[in-house]
Amino acid sequence: MAIVLFSGALAGTLHGVANLVIVEPYLDTAIGIENQNLFASGEEEDTPAFWVEYDAYRDWQKGGQVLAGAILGTSMGGLFGIVYVLSRNALPRGSDLKKSFTLAAIMWLTIYIIPFLKYPANPPTVGDPETVVLRSILFLSFIALSGFGAVAFYQVYKRLQSKKIAAFVGYGIFIAIVFALMPPNPDEVTAPMDLVNGFRAMSVVAVSVFWVSIAVIFGGLWHKFRPDAENSDINN
Amino acid sequence: MSSLTQITKSTSQIPIFAIIVLAIIFAVGLFVVGYDQGHIFSIVLGEQAYADLYIHELTHDMRHEAGFPCH
Ligand SMILES: [Zn+2]
Repeated sequence: MAIVLFSGALAGTLHGVANLVIVEPYLDTAIGIENQNLFASGEEEDTPAFWVEYDAYRDWQKGGQVLAGAILGTSMGGLFGIVYVLSRNALPRGSDLKKSFTLAAIMWLTIYIIPFLKYPANPPTVGDPETVVLRSILFLSFIALSGFGAVAFYQVYKRLQSKKIAAFVGYGIFIAIVFALMPPNPDEVTAPMDLVNGFRAMSVVAVSVFWVSIAVIFGGLWHKFRPDAENSDINN
Repeated sequence: MSSLTQITKSTSQIPIFAIIVLAIIFAVGLFVVGYDQGHIFSIVLGEQAYADLYIHELTHDMRHEAGFPCH
């Protein structure tokens, strides 16, 4: 369990740092647009005092996301560990690193990339606070459907004696139907499209950093400490 | 590290206890980073927590970057 949590926390911290370096410039630009809107509407005044307070606030938030990365990473690490323990024997034969990479790739695809294609990440200013609950429900349901769909077709995969490819096709059809039926994000994107696209691209890179990190760290540690040592010769 | 040795001894079966603990950590962590709007601190701070939104502010940038719906 220590391995699982440590890998998650470390990979999550790396995710936070990656965000800090590559995604923050887009966030700053987006929040800059928000500030201009606040000045224009008269809600805030463009004074040095405003910027002093704003900078301190943003520095705090930027630091916070590294901690948030560690928390989220630990959390995802927990999920990763559960799935790994339960599915380890079905993962491709070979080293633990190969197994953890395979699992990380599957999870990256099913609970991140596919949901992202349906509900891509947005920088600040895009979301309408009025719809945040609806958007949260849609986002979480889609991830849950995709994740549990993957688990269900994994069960099919295990039971199939031949033509195991059918399980992948089955998942593909299932998720395509879900994808088509789920309502779209209700918000209109008003921010400049190149800002939004740049943000999304960097966001994908940063999250992918997380999944690669957890695969490497987890696979490496598992191999070193072999928490399943007692029955490893039966499994392999 | 003590938990590590425990697991080493008990993995002949699937470690149910570890899985439950990990599932709880997963759920709590996901909630804190993705969805808390003052709920957790409200346990100790009361209504004020919903106005301060410390956890929201702290995890805010990560919410956007990891794709959680926000503002
Ligand atoms: Zn936001």
